[in-house]
Amino acid sequence: MKRNQILTIGSIVLLFLFIGYANGHLNAYYIRILNNTAIFLMFAASYNLINGVTGQFSLEPNGFAAIGAYTAAILTLTPAQKEAMFIITPMVPWLQHIHMSFFPALIVAGIVTAMVGFILGFPVFRVRGDYLAIVTLGFGLTIRVVSNNTMSITNGPLGLKGIANYTNLWWSWGFAIAAMIVIMRLINSEFGRAMKAIRDDEDAAIAMGINTFKIKMIAFVTSAFFEGIAGGLLAHLITTISPTLFTFFLTFNLLIIIVIGGLGSMTGTAIATVLVVWGSEWLRIVEQPMHIFSLTIPGIPGMRMVIFSILLIIIMIFAREGIMGQKEFSWDSLFKLFKTKKVANK
Amino acid sequence: MKKLLNILAVMIAALMFMSTGSFAKEVKVGVVWPMTGPIASFGQMAWKGAQIAQAMAPKTKDGATIKLILLDNKGDKVETANAVSRLITKNHVKAIIGAIASGNTLAAAPIAEKNHIPLLSSSATNPLVTKGKEYVSRVCFIDPFQGTVAAKYAINNLHAKTAAIVVDIAQDYSVGLAKFFVESFKKMGGKIVAKTFVQTGDQDFSAQISAIKAKNPDLIYMPTYYQEAALFARQARQFGLNQVIMGGDGLESDALLKVGGKAVEGVTFTTHYDPKATASKVGKEFLKKFKAKYKVDPDAMAALGADAYLVMVNAINRAGGSNASSEAINKAIRSTKNFHGITGVLTLVNGDAVKSAVVRKVKDGKFVYVTTVNP
Repeated sequence: MKRNQILTIGSIVLLFLFIGYANGHLNAYYIRILNNTAIFLMFAASYNLINGVTGQFSLEPNGFAAIGAYTAAILTLTPAQKEAMFIITPMVPWLQHIHMSFFPALIVAGIVTAMVGFILGFPVFRVRGDYLAIVTLGFGLTIRVVSNNTMSITNGPLGLKGIANYTNLWWSWGFAIAAMIVIMRLINSEFGRAMKAIRDDEDAAIAMGINTFKIKMIAFVTSAFFEGIAGGLLAHLITTISPTLFTFFLTFNLLIIIVIGGLGSMTGTAIATVLVVWGSEWLRIVEQPMHIFSLTIPGIPGMRMVIFSILLIIIMIFAREGIMGQKEFSWDSLFKLFKTKKVANK
Repeated sequence: MKKLLNILAVMIAALMFMSTGSFAKEVKVGVVWPMTGPIASFGQMAWKGAQIAQAMAPKTKDGATIKLILLDNKGDKVETANAVSRLITKNHVKAIIGAIASGNTLAAAPIAEKNHIPLLSSSATNPLVTKGKEYVSRVCFIDPFQGTVAAKYAINNLHAKTAAIVVDIAQDYSVGLAKFFVESFKKMGGKIVAKTFVQTGDQDFSAQISAIKAKNPDLIYMPTYYQEAALFARQARQFGLNQVIMGGDGLESDALLKVGGKAVEGVTFTTHYDPKATASKVGKEFLKKFKAKYKVDPDAMAALGADAYLVMVNAINRAGGSNASSEAINKAIRSTKNFHGITGVLTLVNGDAVKSAVVRKVKDGKFVYVTTVNP
């Protein structure tokens, strides 16, 4: 047990050493991709907590991301910036004068989102299964309509711009690792076992005396908290947000990640995040004109989406439960793998 | 057999020579436009226009080829930021053309600013895009100007005294344009009697129509995109609302005519370009080449895409040709003066193009040229 803990801490230290190296040596493009990876990892891991681990198929992360992004952005923008930006309707005064630094703004964003998740939990967990999906989908759409219409808070469809570019590798990976640790600890706790019980058979879980509503709420609020922070990080990475950023497509992307990785597996989520975020950038080469000797193949825009879809189909055919299924990476199984290999060598 | 191999070897060598033989100098210019996704049609049209423009002026004054590297941004902010970052750090472009939508251009702007790479948008009309920026410019006019032109035309040519506004609350473009129209219209003595809201994707407008009908305005100003405007016009005419409908460049699409049919007859809008208003030599050449290749008239997006390219080439030439630095190109772009482009004569002031607008209207199921309004 002790060996495993040392190994885990060691690999986290190694990751941060790499980030320190990357910060100084990699070019801006790769740093951007690494930032995207961390943010999407946070989104996907917290989404997987409610969808995969607890088995409550919901479709709300774009709503939570929007709340987190708007809260954090409004808090870090200076009053002067806000005044210059709200050209349609002036901002409500108390919000205009509020100003915070990055870290507290992110925490507030997380708390606000968690609170919205808490309030939302009461009505939505009265339904199960497909109905839950529809209700939470409705929430995601509602948030978008609200952000378009509350012009004195969100600047409506014009969105917010000039958000300071605070998100760097330390912030994004720091929060992503923190989120992963909290979520993993939660999964391996008493609550986590209850979540899995609910996923496998909700009625049986009730019969065993589990307060399913409370457990679902814990998963939902935790997931909302981290999605809110991830939204805030995203806003400070791309420096401009508007309601169009938080459409159903964001949720859809996250859904692809957790399904490829395996519903309920955080290891799978991490692998799939890297695959999806890096893959869609790497595949840009297929959209560029290619020169093979004197033969020029013109680039076809949209080609990477086609290849991506084909890969998805292949994964779904050959690994129906995603890359990792419900399994997690563990040091024990890694060592076991080496041991059996040694035996085979003899 | 040996002979055959020899021939083959020679052929391969020749092919390789041909492919690597193009050692000519080139200037790399990145292009970030939506080729897929919800606003793909705009990006594709602009790309067609830019390609025709490239065929017209493929080289700098010192003979270097201009190489356009097109990256798709799917109309998405994150993708736009990724693409711009990739162009700068991996492709080492000297300058970037893009993006189409104002929101995406805003996402690209801080990266361009940080790396001191000029970013030239073809059609981001939101006034916020270039505000406080040193490396962001555009070849289109901005929404306040378009709103003013529409208000002037409404009062002077249509003799409207009262107007009703229909705003698409989900589009930054619509909200901005409506605001600037209202300001100018009021300043010129007009009165806004009704303000109603729709949302992209709406199908039924009966509530808005009855609200407007109760006030009986002289004019309906509807700066939305074509889908909503076409459906709105159909329903308005059914309800007996026969006032002139005016709008912005978002109405310009064949879909407006197809969906709207007879109901959109008389719909008037301000826009960037009309093939008939083209007087310049370069404009005529563009029109001819575009029609020959794509068999349709170029629209505003295509013309603006071409103008973005031409302004860029002109700036590179003025900055010293193929060896010009990004800084020098940026300076040249921003000091463009009286440049005869496809969409008219343009001068850049603080990165915004000051140029004339065109008023077009629907007549007999076609877009026809009405007038040109100078700034």
